[in-house]
Amino acid sequence: MATVRQTDVNRLLDAAQTQVQKNRQRLEKGLDILLAREEPLVGVTPKDVIYSRGTLRLYHYRPMSDEVYRVPVVFVMSLVSKPFILDLTFGQSFVQYMLAQGFDVFMVDWGIPRPEDKRLKLDDYVLDFMPRCFEEVQKATGEKDYSILGYCMGGQLALMHAGLNPGAPIANMVCAATPVDMEGMGLFRHFSDRRWFDVDRLVDAVGNIPPDFMLRSFEMLRPMDRWMSYVRLLDNLWDPVFVYGYRVMYKWTNEQIPFAGEAYRQMIRELMWENKLMKNTLTLDNRRVDTKAITCPVLNVMAEHDHIAPYAATKPLTSLVSSRDTDEVVLKGGHVSLVAGKNAVGRLWPKVAEWLGERSV
Amino acid sequence: MPETSTRTDGAAGEAMELWRNWLTETERQWNSFFAEVMGRDSFGRVAGSYMEAYSVVQRALNQGMERYLNTFNLPTHSDVVELGERLHNIEERLATLEANLNNLASAAGIPTTAAVTQLRPRRTRRPRTSKNESK
Repeated sequence: MATVRQTDVNRLLDAAQTQVQKNRQRLEKGLDILLAREEPLVGVTPKDVIYSRGTLRLYHYRPMSDEVYRVPVVFVMSLVSKPFILDLTFGQSFVQYMLAQGFDVFMVDWGIPRPEDKRLKLDDYVLDFMPRCFEEVQKATGEKDYSILGYCMGGQLALMHAGLNPGAPIANMVCAATPVDMEGMGLFRHFSDRRWFDVDRLVDAVGNIPPDFMLRSFEMLRPMDRWMSYVRLLDNLWDPVFVYGYRVMYKWTNEQIPFAGEAYRQMIRELMWENKLMKNTLTLDNRRVDTKAITCPVLNVMAEHDHIAPYAATKPLTSLVSSRDTDEVVLKGGHVSLVAGKNAVGRLWPKVAEWLGERSV
Repeated sequence: MPETSTRTDGAAGEAMELWRNWLTETERQWNSFFAEVMGRDSFGRVAGSYMEAYSVVQRALNQGMERYLNTFNLPTHSDVVELGERLHNIEERLATLEANLNNLASAAGIPTTAAVTQLRPRRTRRPRTSKNESK
């Protein structure tokens, strides 16, 4: 009996000690967050800016091997968020992974639109900025062809670019979480329904769509996510790895950027209301975006539980192109974890590297 | 006795696991509830009215502030934006000049790219196939 008591006491003491230690760590990490101490470093993979124009930057990441695939790959980011989601932090960077796999990696970073950028239209991004960036990639590599990897709206821009330039030397196209059928956009489509959403009045009043407006509209899709993430943080506050991951993601989610006004108007009118990308009737600068003219290999990567670009909106992508070589990957998880979560590290990145590698020689 | 300890730890772990599962389920249910509410036309109309009011107020504020700043001979938001546009045009012209100079330099055989991008790796990599690996 005495032994039992002694063991029980020891166990209780051990448990108490563990709890004290965890609470000390909770306090320490909690203060780190509250006081914004040791801001997590993001987007730190070494790179050079090889072209800039206004807020646009074209990065060339420094190769990590002395032998790379012949065809360079250009990451095209969405217009609504910062690109460091693709280069989060050490061990969680898609860019770094691709470099380690022997790719020559470039990234189109649209930057943060300034007030004077409110007049930028999709036409400017697709017909002017993108081709200039690809020219620079060609110059930097000495190769004519290039692969495009578009994330979210970046995939839409890639489709538009390819659809407008059937002769463009696009070797491969990877579209990740790219919505094409706006009828599948769920609540987003409902919020922006023309019966109650006056996009003209909004754009005329504010110019660029404020980042806070963008952030709230994303959050409204799953209102409980933010609050539950705080609860989970409290639960795991003792765990430095969890806290670091949380802070990195929190930084990305909350550092929303404005949306260039005219481009936003076009997105709502042409894509959300008229669904022109899906119907293959979209025109930019009076030129038709013919996605059926796309013949390069296409990989469509989708997330099963994506609430921003739902599966129903991303699924038809490969049916829009005429490519004979198309492939689809559906992963569990959501919009962000698709490219930057555990799923991404273990499944998506190797799949993309393998798929592109076979087609990049 | 270690068995007792393991059992108790296991029970505590199970309780935490149950709590976490409950949390996930609660989150899912609330999100579904809000999605259902926000998916109604009536919600859309309310949100639309809010956006309309926001746009009207924003526009009135912009105009009011513009008049106020003009009265005190201070630069307005439009003035700053206009300056930004002029700077942007200058940047564009500089970029064009730089590109033209680079083209001229390239034509004359002078290297123009940054030092790092000149460290060009061989572009001969091939994918690792099972055939290659077995060799």
